[in-house]
Formats: sequence, structure tokens, C-alpha cells
Amino acid sequence: MTIQQPHVPLYHTRREFLQRCGNGFGALAFAALLAEETRAADTKVDIDPLAPKKPHFEAKAKRVIFLFMEGGPSHVDLTDPKPELTRRHGQPLPASFGKVITPMGTGGNNLLASKRKFAKYGQSGMDFSDWLPQMAQCADDFTLLRACWADGLNHVGSVCQMNTGSILAGRPSLGAWALYGLGSENRNLPGFVVFTEGGGQVFGGARVWGTGFMPATYQGTLFRGGKSPVLNLDTPSDVGEERQKNKLELIGELNSIHRRERPGDTQLDARQAAYELAFRMQAHAPEAVDLSQETEKTKEAYGLNRQETMEYGIRCLLARRLIERGVRFVQIYCGAGSQWDAHADIESNHSKMCLRADQPTAALIRDLKQRGLLDETLVIWGGEFGRTPMTEGSSGRDHNPYGFSMLLAGGGVKGGCIYGATDEFGLYGVEGRVHVHDLHATILHLLGLDHTRLTFRHNGKDERLTDVKGKVIHDIIA
Amino acid sequence: MPRLLRVSIIALIGIVFTPLAPAADPLPEDWAFHPFQRPAPPKVNNPPTSLHNPIDHFLLAKLAEHNLTYAPEAHRQTLIRRLYYDLIGLPPTPEEVAAFVNDTSPQAYEKLVDRLLASPQFGERQALWWLDLVRFAETDGFNADGVRPHAWRYRDYVIQSFNADKPFDRFLQEQLAGDELYPDSWDAWIATGFLRHYPDEYNAVNLEQRRYEIITDITDTTAATFLGLTAGCARCHDHKYDPVTQDDYFRMQAFFAGFWPIEKKLFTPAQQAEYDRQLAAWQAKTAEIRQAIATIEEPLRQKESQRQRKRFPEEYANLLDIPFEKRSPLEKQIAAMVEKQVYSGAKDVSKSLKGTDKEHYDALKAQLAQFEKDKPADPPQAMVMTDLPEPPPTYLFKRGEWRKPGDKVVPGYINVITPQDAVAEPRNGSPGRRAALAAWIASQDNPLTARVIVNRLWQHHFSYGIVRTSSDFGVAGDKPTHPELLDWLASELMNPTVVPADGPRPAAWSLKHIHRLIVTSAAYRQDCRGQATGANIDPDNHLLWQFPRRRLDGETLRDAMLAVSGQLNHKAGGPSIFPELPAELQKTTPAWKPTPDPKERNRRSIYVFVKRNLRYPLFLLFDAPDRNETCARRFATTTAPQALTLLNDSVVLGFAKAFATRVTLEVGTDHPKVVDRAFQLAINRSPTEEERNAMLAFLQRHQGSPTEAVVDLCHALLNINEFLYID
Repeated sequence: MTIQQPHVPLYHTRREFLQRCGNGFGALAFAALLAEETRAADTKVDIDPLAPKKPHFEAKAKRVIFLFMEGGPSHVDLTDPKPELTRRHGQPLPASFGKVITPMGTGGNNLLASKRKFAKYGQSGMDFSDWLPQMAQCADDFTLLRACWADGLNHVGSVCQMNTGSILAGRPSLGAWALYGLGSENRNLPGFVVFTEGGGQVFGGARVWGTGFMPATYQGTLFRGGKSPVLNLDTPSDVGEERQKNKLELIGELNSIHRRERPGDTQLDARQAAYELAFRMQAHAPEAVDLSQETEKTKEAYGLNRQETMEYGIRCLLARRLIERGVRFVQIYCGAGSQWDAHADIESNHSKMCLRADQPTAALIRDLKQRGLLDETLVIWGGEFGRTPMTEGSSGRDHNPYGFSMLLAGGGVKGGCIYGATDEFGLYGVEGRVHVHDLHATILHLLGLDHTRLTFRHNGKDERLTDVKGKVIHDIIA
Repeated sequence: MPRLLRVSIIALIGIVFTPLAPAADPLPEDWAFHPFQRPAPPKVNNPPTSLHNPIDHFLLAKLAEHNLTYAPEAHRQTLIRRLYYDLIGLPPTPEEVAAFVNDTSPQAYEKLVDRLLASPQFGERQALWWLDLVRFAETDGFNADGVRPHAWRYRDYVIQSFNADKPFDRFLQEQLAGDELYPDSWDAWIATGFLRHYPDEYNAVNLEQRRYEIITDITDTTAATFLGLTAGCARCHDHKYDPVTQDDYFRMQAFFAGFWPIEKKLFTPAQQAEYDRQLAAWQAKTAEIRQAIATIEEPLRQKESQRQRKRFPEEYANLLDIPFEKRSPLEKQIAAMVEKQVYSGAKDVSKSLKGTDKEHYDALKAQLAQFEKDKPADPPQAMVMTDLPEPPPTYLFKRGEWRKPGDKVVPGYINVITPQDAVAEPRNGSPGRRAALAAWIASQDNPLTARVIVNRLWQHHFSYGIVRTSSDFGVAGDKPTHPELLDWLASELMNPTVVPADGPRPAAWSLKHIHRLIVTSAAYRQDCRGQATGANIDPDNHLLWQFPRRRLDGETLRDAMLAVSGQLNHKAGGPSIFPELPAELQKTTPAWKPTPDPKERNRRSIYVFVKRNLRYPLFLLFDAPDRNETCARRFATTTAPQALTLLNDSVVLGFAKAFATRVTLEVGTDHPKVVDRAFQLAINRSPTEEERNAMLAFLQRHQGSPTEAVVDLCHALLNINEFLYID
């Protein structure tokens, strides 16, 4: 049977299959196969859904690293200084703003000035506060989007939208779309890898790097800390390698008898291939995450020598290693479980979070640049929304999806570019507004994909990441 | 033959047959919206096999057009395994296989089918795809993912309905309007849980948006499940070709506009009276203590309520100050969502107490606890749906955006099918709108309902439907591969004509009747290996020249491992269970507390708790949907993490160990016996000489202990393709 299942890795011929097997137990368990007659290889179909695919047009970026500051960093304290906010500290928003809906009902609260000191950096004179001193040094590598906006008020919907385009669950994530559109260059590692930092669970859970209505083939794989980044990667210690190898050999033997009796069923071949990929992952993933190969200097640059930066730094460094190995999309949740969510006290929360995020982010950008990888790697830094200029309680800030900042670097975006503006308090985007759909359209564009043409048929609709919306922000593309 | 005559015969043939000759594509784009009649099964010349029922006529006639025919009938071992997994979702035991293989009676196959259809496990198997369709879950989703403690009753309702072969027209009417149509039946109330399975963000503050999302979810799920229509597109715009317009869409939303979700006590009047009596007695005994507690709690609660109130836009919060009767219908719905958050009676407000206040409070609570035994148990409840007597108006939202209301619309049917507004009669305090919709859907004149459900049954048995897009019968969906067969099956569902050899005439809308027809057809009994030319002529097997092999879904895989390892607990119904998670995952997932009793844990997968934010990992890994929206057909992906899990996961290894223990207990440690028994249990046939030798050689060369060798053999069998793929 040759039912075409284009989202399942199908190998057409045994030869091709064996070619992809590599060494290891495959060589043992499938030696028998070599002796078998090779199946006719007439029918040509695209059998490997993760094989690298040509983009729609020439890509600026080949890979993406999305540094997700979960919980919502405060743009008015980081990248969007507002003198008027400082001046009117303690006063309400002007009546002209009307009623502002926020999740904690802070719309009518008084304004809260930022206590941070801002300065202009780089040739472009991009503003950064003293909470991001290292990233400020990369100013000329960044495009700063200052008037992003989103539809959700609460974390779970907003995290979901920043990942999938919709505040409601059930749609594929950006990384899944990228993998679906472009495939993966490395066939020994997952093409879409996710890290979480900070010990919490990302709001919305694994769904936000899932595939929704798309097949699971394109989903993100969560890498954990330690030598064994993938769940169930290791042979259980009470089984041991010898028994495992022996067992795999029996599985291979029985499968090959089964398949010999059922020629032409590519699903069965695919399943055997999945065991092979699993095996290759066992061999390659630990190497990819082995930081002992990095110099002390590099580790220090990423902050691995300091308690505050170590966890996030390790993940940034791993992101670079995975990108180098052809992984398509890496996402790191900094402060997983909404740790940037400074409702109560912006000062204490953000000084802690920025300390964690600043140095490793900057180190990653510098490192990519130095290795000549930044041109082809799009780095995104930001959260699911920003924070209100109004105070919550005495010193916190509520969610603000109406106007907030995102930073992009590399991958074909302009350096030192500031795009868009919020109002005098930083509440609403007023100029150069970029909806999440626009951001997604632009990211896909940088990857060489036309967001209106990258579609997946589901329930009678050709679904897109950007639904029926989204426009590419050409002004920020180099 | 004189020349003239010959010409005229040709001409005549031309006249008579031209209209019937298959044009390139005679079906109109909107075929599904047209009424249909029962087509006559075509005649089949030289059938390759016995034609068991009209299904085979339709299929073989089409195959013959392409010079194809059925594969030979599969072996009995294959057939029994196929039937078991298909109908009850479990493997047969070696004894059951032997009994069937050795049954020489002419009706052996039909007897087996009837036995399985009558098995209580039949409903447990069929419920799975239904629960996928209706996005059944036991938590809210979103971040809080709050538990829905009574949701399981709907799952049991589905299982019992399928087992009892409840007529499908009744089944669907109960789910859409059980409260209005059958208010005296608890089952019918429970069935309205269908309307309650929407994901819900209970702590949302943008409540008009939330309300719209809820109605949208209910409308879209209803349209997809019962009508096979993807209404989502029409919400935003009229589709160029699709007969379903934006107007149709919002008229359909209007059926649900008055939605009023409640928890219903499942008490008879007598039980209620008894409960009230006991409660009153308890209240009398505890009046003073409770008063003292209330004195402490009330101010705290007030404070908390005030705090919660502030989270909402004023116009929502202020609704609480308007008496219920004075609120408009829309205000009632919005206010209910506010109240749920503001007056949370269950919330423990005593946490802020300190020192002697706290001691005093705790002492009172302890006193109260002494009377706990006198307090009647909470009544059993179900999550159900009813309507406000007066529903809020419905507007057509421009571009589907709730902030842009356009014209007001009334409930009405899809115009191209029934160009009418609905006539709703109030029933049981509810406006009766949903009853009107249910009656329209359940009508024999509805061109979609019967076709959609028989197509789903077909998909269940043959992996793909006759319409491959089984929830999209609109113009964007696939056309049926066998339109006449589809119409015949739909007609047969509504008006059965085929009577089983020694059975009564099936009832109208009997799903078991359609299941029986399908699985007793020769098409279903084919081998998985058809003729070689099939792959060239019809590579996707649209015409069914062989039986499509399929992979087990995650739920069935777990059931199979439990059954094979001898651990499956067949206990049916009741609150859901929490099987163990892999150790590593358990550490990070405190919310999932494994059911302590292993016997309880080892119940079938259909009873595993459906948590939206944590689908049971094994199910998810093998393509279970996340249950946030309706799912008509699962993917069957093949991924490396699946292989890693089946090889290394501690839960799977546990199955292997139990399997090995079972085998050793049953046949001892003699290698040939072990090999044969283990293979029989897992694969439902005896190994071939070659397979037996491979396994014996494996045991022979194994370096570990004899026990480890058997465990590894059993583990390997749970990993091989033939365990996961059903021929």
C-alpha cells in the first residue's frame, strides 16, 4: 500500500532507508535487510516531511532563535522612555484616553513613572534603560519595534497568540509553521527545540510549541537540562546497553519479516526509520548539548559563571550550538511560568529578571555575529505583551497588549532601526503599529516564506499562521 | 444485422445512456446540500467473492470500472484481531482466536460480529471518536485549567448510548436539546453536556468577547459534528462558492444565544426531600457555630469581593448591583460570569487571619467538623445546559468581529436547505430554540445528518470516510468516492431494509445496524495485501482494493498493553482515573496525582482523566487531539519520540515486566512455550517457523538472567510493527 501520508517520514526504498540509518544498531539489526531484494523504486513521492524544502523566495534568515520573556517585560522601563510619564507621575491618564480595560482593572489608576535611567546607544541612538546594559551595547544590531500590539489581555491567551497567532488554543505554533515550510537541515536532532528557564511551566503548556491541527511531526521538542535533553532518550540503567542492543536486534528482525510479507507499505518502513532516528538522537543529542566543548571564555561571556545568569546563559549557548547544527527553530522561555509578570513591584521583579536576561542575550548576539551566523539567524527578544504606564497597587504594572516593544536582530533585519511609537505614556501604539500577525508575517518573510501562501488544509480551510491578516513590515528589512 | 438497424441501435444506446454515462465529474460542488434517494445497488458481473450485502455491489462495480477487484479474504486470525480492535478496541485472547478459527458453522463470522456488537466494551471503543468530535474534556483549558468534576457523566452517557444502540436521531436531539425535549430524563440532561465542553477562561474580564467565543465554539462544534459543515469561514465572510452564508452562520448562532450553563442535581423528588430533611437537621444543630464562623468570614469575603470587582470594567461590575430580574438577558449572562469570580463561596478567605483570631476560627471549624457525619452527602450533579427564557438578541458581526454588530438576526436554518426561520416553542422554561434546531437536524429530510454519521462509521472501519474530509461536506471538502454508496447507507440508516439472517428488523437510526453492514461486507473481510496493479491504478486505495492497514491510537495502545500483560481492569463508568506518569514527568506535574489503587489505575483509557493542559503523554504522543476543538480524524504520525517512549519509558517497561510475569505463570520457563504464548498474546496468531527461531535465538543468546530474557522478549513484542499495526 502506498497511501501518501505526506507528514509522515516515508522511505521509498530500502536503499534510501539504509542510507539514512547511519551506524549503530541499524547496522546490526538491519544487516538482514541488505540481503533482501531491493524494492522497486519507481514511484516518486516526497516521502520525508522534514527534508529541507525550498522557501518561496530567497530567504534572509535560515534559522530563528526566539527569546521569549514570559510574563510581559515592561517596555516603559526598558526600551521606551516616556518623559511625560515621569512628569505626570501620580496623576491619572488624561480623560481623552477614555476607559482602558486591563485584567486587574487598573485602567483608572494613576500613572507610575519609571525609576530607570535611560540612555541612547550605538550610532542609531537606540534607547535602553540601565536594566539592559549589555543588550544596549548591541543597539546597532537591533530593530526595535515600539508599537507592537496583541489581542489578548491574559497570559495564556497572549502567550498562545505570540506563538500561534490566535489567543485561543488549537493552532500550530510559529516554529511548527517554519518546520512545515522549510523542513530541517539536521536529521539527527529535532528541527524545533524549546527550552524553559526558571523552573516554572510555560502558561498554556506544551501546546504553545505544539502543532494544533497539524500533524505532530512539526512540533517543538522540549529539551531539558543535563546530558539527556530529550525525555526517554537514555536506555534505562537497569536495562543497559547490551540488552537494549540485543532487544533492538530482535525488533528489527521481526519487523523485517513482517515487512517482507507486506511489501510497499511505507508506514511500516517509516516506523522502522523512526527507531533509527531515535537511535541517532541518542547518539547526537548528548553531543549537541555537551558544553564541555566550549571554552571558559565563551562560558563566561554567556554568564555561566554567575548564579543569576547561569540557567538562561546555558540555554542561550545551547541555542547557538543547535543553530550551528542546523536546527531550524529554537525557543527559550526566560522566566517560564510568567516570571516577568510584575503586578506587585516592578522594581524588584524586573531588576531580578533583567539581570538574568541581559548578559546572555547580548552574548548570544555577539557570539553569533562573531561566528558569522547572525546574518542567517533571526533573533527575537520580547514577551507576550508589555506593561501599563498606570500603576497597579503602589509599584506594580498591569498587562498592556495595546502597545509594547519587541527586539529583532540578525536574519536580514536592519540594525539600529527604531520602528513605530507609542503615545506619550507608552499605553497605546500610535505610529507604525505592528500586530502579532504582522510580526509573524515578517518573520516568515525573512525565512523566505510568503505568509499568504504557507497554508495547511484543515476542516475545509487553507489555514495560515496569520489567519486572514498580517502584513510584512518591509521597512525593517535590510 | 442490416446496417440501418445497427446504426439506430447505436443511436438509441447513445440516447439512453449518455445521461447516465459517468461524465468526468457529475457531482455538483454543493452535492451534500441536495436531497437524495436510495440508489439501487448496481449489478455485479462475475463477483470474485460472495457478495455479503449491497455495500459490495457498489464497491465492486466501481472497482470493475478500473479493472480492479477485492483482495482475497483475510485469514481468520487476521479477521478476529481486526474485528476486536475495531469494535471493542481490545485484542482477542488466544482462546478466543482458537474458538473462532475452529468454528465451522456457516455463520461463525456473523456470530462473532454480533457478540462484539453486544459487548459492553463496544461503547467504550466507539466513544473515543465521538469524544474527539465533541472536544470532550474534564478541565476548562486556558491557564487555570479548572477541573470539571461532573463532566465524566457525559462520557458515560456516550458509552451507554452506543451500547444501547440509542437511535441516532434521539441521541443527537438529547445532546442539542435534552433539557427542552426530555426534561424528565437525567440522561437527556447529561447529554446537554455536549454544549458545555467549550474551553473556558473563567477568570476572563473581557466578558462580551468571552461570551462570543463560547457561542462560536458551540455553533462550530454543532455544525461540524452533526452537519459535517465547517462553519468557521462563514463567520467572517460569505464564501465565494459555499452555500453557507454569513447570514446562515449567525442565524445558527442565534439558536444558542440564550445559553445558560448550570449544574443539575440528579435527585428524585424523594431523594431531594430526604436530603433537605437531613440538611435542615444539620443546619439546626450547627446554626450557632456557623453563625460564628460567618461573622468572621463575611467581612473578609466582602473585602475579597470588592477586590475582585475592581478587576472588571465598571459596566460589568455594576451589573451586580442590578437585581437579577431587572437585568437584560445579555446582562444576565455577563453578570453570571462576573459573579462566578466575585462571589466565590468556596474560596478560603480565612488565610489572612492571624494569632488568636486564627485560633478562634480554627476552633470553630473543628467544632463544625464534628457534625460532618450528620451532613448529607452532596447530591450527584451533572454539568448541563439550558437557556434563559428570553435569549439576548443576535447580531451578524461584520467580519466576524464582536465589536462590529450589523443586522439583528433570528434563529433560522441553512437557507439553501430549508429557507425558513425557526419556529421555537417554549419548553420547560426554555425558549425551545435548540429543540427546533435539533428537530431540523434529526429530520429525515435533512440531506446532511445521515450522510455525515454513516460516513463517520465508514471512516472508523476503513480509516478514511467515503467523504475523506469527514467534518467538511461543504464545497471546500472532498467529494465522496462512492456517492451512491454513501446515499444508500444513509437511507439504510434511516429506513433499514437489510434484515440480518436470524435477527429482527433493525430499528431506524440504529448505528449498530450500519456497523454490522460494514463489518460483514466482503470489502471489510479483505486481506491487507491486494493485487499488485492496485498500487498503480489507485495508489491511495480510494476504491478499496485491499483493506487499509492501520496503526493503533494511543488510547488503544495502552489498553492493548494492559490486556496483553493481563492487568486490564474492565470496570466500567464513573469518575475518571489517573494512571501513573513516567517518573521524570511526575516530578514536574504535581497536578496529576496518580490513582493510588493500581487496579483502578489499570482501567481502560477511555476512563483516563482528560486534562486539557496535560493530555496523558502516551495518548498525545500517538496523536490524540488536545480537545480544544472538534477533531474529525486523527493523524497517525510516526516520530522518533514514539520509538524512544516504547523503548525506554518506565511505564511501558512496567507493562513488559507484567507481560513476562503473566507468560511465565501461564506456561513456565520452557523457551518454545514462552515464545509461542507471548507471541500469541501480543500478535494473536502463532509465530511462523522463522519468527519462532528468531525469538528462540534471542532467548538463547541473551546474557542476562532468564527473567530478564523473557521481559526483553515481551518488551520487544510490544515494540514490533505488527503489535501496533492492525492488518
